[in-house]
Amino acid sequence: MSSAYTNKLLMIDLSRESFETLPVSNDLKKDFIGGKGFGAKLLYDMVLPETDPLGKDNVLMFMTGPLTGTMAPAMRGCVVTKSPLTGIFLDSYFGGSFAPEIKYAGYDGLIIKGQAKKPVYIWINDDTVEIRDAWHLWGTDTLKANEQIKTELNDDTIKIASIGQAGENQVLFALVCCEYNRQAGRGGAGAVMGSKNLKAIAIKGSKLVSIHDPKRFTKACATAFKELEASPDVEAFRVAGTAASVDFANETGLLPHKNYQNGTFSKASKLADKGQARHLWLGSAACMGCPIRCSKIGAIRSGKYKGTITDIIEYESAALMGSNLDISDIRAVAHLTKLCDLYGMDSMSCGNLIGFAMEACEKGVIPSPQGISLCFGNIDAAEYLVHAIANRTGELGMLLSKGVKQASEEIGITAIDLAVHAKGLESPAWGPRGVSGMGLAYMTTDRGGCHQRGFTVTYELSGEWKGAPLDPLSPKGKARMVIALQNYSAGRDTLVNCDFGSYGISDDTYAELLSAATGQKTDPATLVETGERIWNLVRCFNLAQGLDPKKDTLAPRFVNEPLPDGPSKGHRISAEDMDYMRQEYYQLRGWDKKGIPLDKRLNQLRIAYAGHHK
Amino acid sequence: MDLTGGYNPRRARLLIELKTENLYHIPAVCNQCENAYCMNVCPSKAIQRNDDGIVCIDPDKCISCGLCAQFCPIGMVTLDPDTQKAVKCELCQGEPLCVEVCPTFALELVYRGNINE
Repeated sequence: MSSAYTNKLLMIDLSRESFETLPVSNDLKKDFIGGKGFGAKLLYDMVLPETDPLGKDNVLMFMTGPLTGTMAPAMRGCVVTKSPLTGIFLDSYFGGSFAPEIKYAGYDGLIIKGQAKKPVYIWINDDTVEIRDAWHLWGTDTLKANEQIKTELNDDTIKIASIGQAGENQVLFALVCCEYNRQAGRGGAGAVMGSKNLKAIAIKGSKLVSIHDPKRFTKACATAFKELEASPDVEAFRVAGTAASVDFANETGLLPHKNYQNGTFSKASKLADKGQARHLWLGSAACMGCPIRCSKIGAIRSGKYKGTITDIIEYESAALMGSNLDISDIRAVAHLTKLCDLYGMDSMSCGNLIGFAMEACEKGVIPSPQGISLCFGNIDAAEYLVHAIANRTGELGMLLSKGVKQASEEIGITAIDLAVHAKGLESPAWGPRGVSGMGLAYMTTDRGGCHQRGFTVTYELSGEWKGAPLDPLSPKGKARMVIALQNYSAGRDTLVNCDFGSYGISDDTYAELLSAATGQKTDPATLVETGERIWNLVRCFNLAQGLDPKKDTLAPRFVNEPLPDGPSKGHRISAEDMDYMRQEYYQLRGWDKKGIPLDKRLNQLRIAYAGHHK
Repeated sequence: MDLTGGYNPRRARLLIELKTENLYHIPAVCNQCENAYCMNVCPSKAIQRNDDGIVCIDPDKCISCGLCAQFCPIGMVTLDPDTQKAVKCELCQGEPLCVEVCPTFALELVYRGNINE
């Protein structure tokens, strides 16, 4: 029977220099669909407790969804591994053209285990898999490695995922660069790749992704395109990508300024779409097959950094490398972000860390490095730290390369109060003090401080959730919303669809696309239930890996310090508020008071095997 | 999809070249060249121009030598990986599927006068 699944996973063992294909079972497809679901189940099965994230026993997976590589709009891929930054589950998503190419080569996903003895890269050309020497590539940045591999394989159309120096040096928040300007950015997948001595994966696929019912599928695609065109949100992304969020976050008091001390920044608009359009943008670009084309590609044309090609500075980078550091020159922010991209490290975590270091230095907690005035607003100091972290040079560079949690713990108690993260993953650029549901999302997100597993902001500010009134500042009624959004997002991450697509495409259409493509009957409720199954399985995985449920908490700044500005001035999320939200959340999830999933719920979700952990 | 039975942009009869870190996107479609090198180099006369001026490949005559693909200046002739026969854009009998399916209406079929004139 024809289906959009290839029904094969490619497993590569770098220690043994061998590879094999594994069948994809019907049970796996039925219960986990693809993407995050496949990754979560395989990680649960393959990575035992105590596994060193940077050792040979960790696995690094690149998973696609059943609709990846088809005409269904805005489908992506994800990297799943045990994070070296948090020590727990990590899923990190990337657009571009690398994920479809995995499908075209004939695989639903790649699983990489072991550790190469010397630097290598993997070359996958349909059924031919080679592990090739990469000594000559070691030390190059992400794009140089990409270019050199294309040159040596004599083919510009090959798709490549690569790491830069940060990944080689195992900076704990190093990323995987998936061409072009797309990154599996968060949580340190690039460090895992570096620990395996794996510089890059190059793929070329000539096979076809087939469809169970082509006529029905083509019709569903047409519906999806129509829904996208009808959505004003999608139109906004088409015009200005995520850059317009800078003004929105500033007006609502959620924009991080000076290491999240404040929620507004007087020069925010310079970092937003208008500033970017003026100084950077030249045209639109899209991930493969996506009609939204939210990327605004261009170049820095003037000033100290002119000549640099840059994609849109996404909201998260604009805020964390910009307002968070009290920097308002978008060209400088583009420069700093590009440096992170080339070194191959997460510009969100990096911006967060530089903000932490600047505040710590201004408050006398750490000394300024020799010859550097480490203070907010100093672009050169920020650049100094980007180089120092990526290359792990100097005492401060070494320290910050371990992420804000470890770095602050090594400095001491006064620094811990300045560290803004959840479970070791640096917080994203949405301060939660004016939207307590976002706080609960950070407290409970499977991979740590992340805004994408339940983005409550728009609902909370609209004052409504599913027809019922909602007070953004109150802890009440937040758990129900956060759980619904988490299950929904985990369900969607099996597809693996871009969040922006779901601003336009309806739940029914996604289910119809999936049913038509795979022949597996699906409805929106099945996707959400699958999401809940995954969420619980990942929770069990994290607990087995040693997660202390007491870490379902927020950074001290958000708990102890009232927001000094913006519409929610004076508000914080107190320990009592956290406790209220946490208990409501655990109860509604079917977990016990300590946050451990109860067997009853696990049974209902058909993952009873995940219970009874220590 | 309708042409090949599945999805893969590598099998498309047109392409978009990405250059300079994705800053430039350069589309290429078959020009149905007046002096068509693919036709000139074909040793089995499998490539002929039809009455509408479209350069077409007869799969029964194609001997899979690949010369056409080698000498097309813009990479618009390829060998189908399944059949090993040369394939190129023949404008789907005047109703191109790519135009029909393009979600952003970026493609349209235009005639720029008669090629035989």
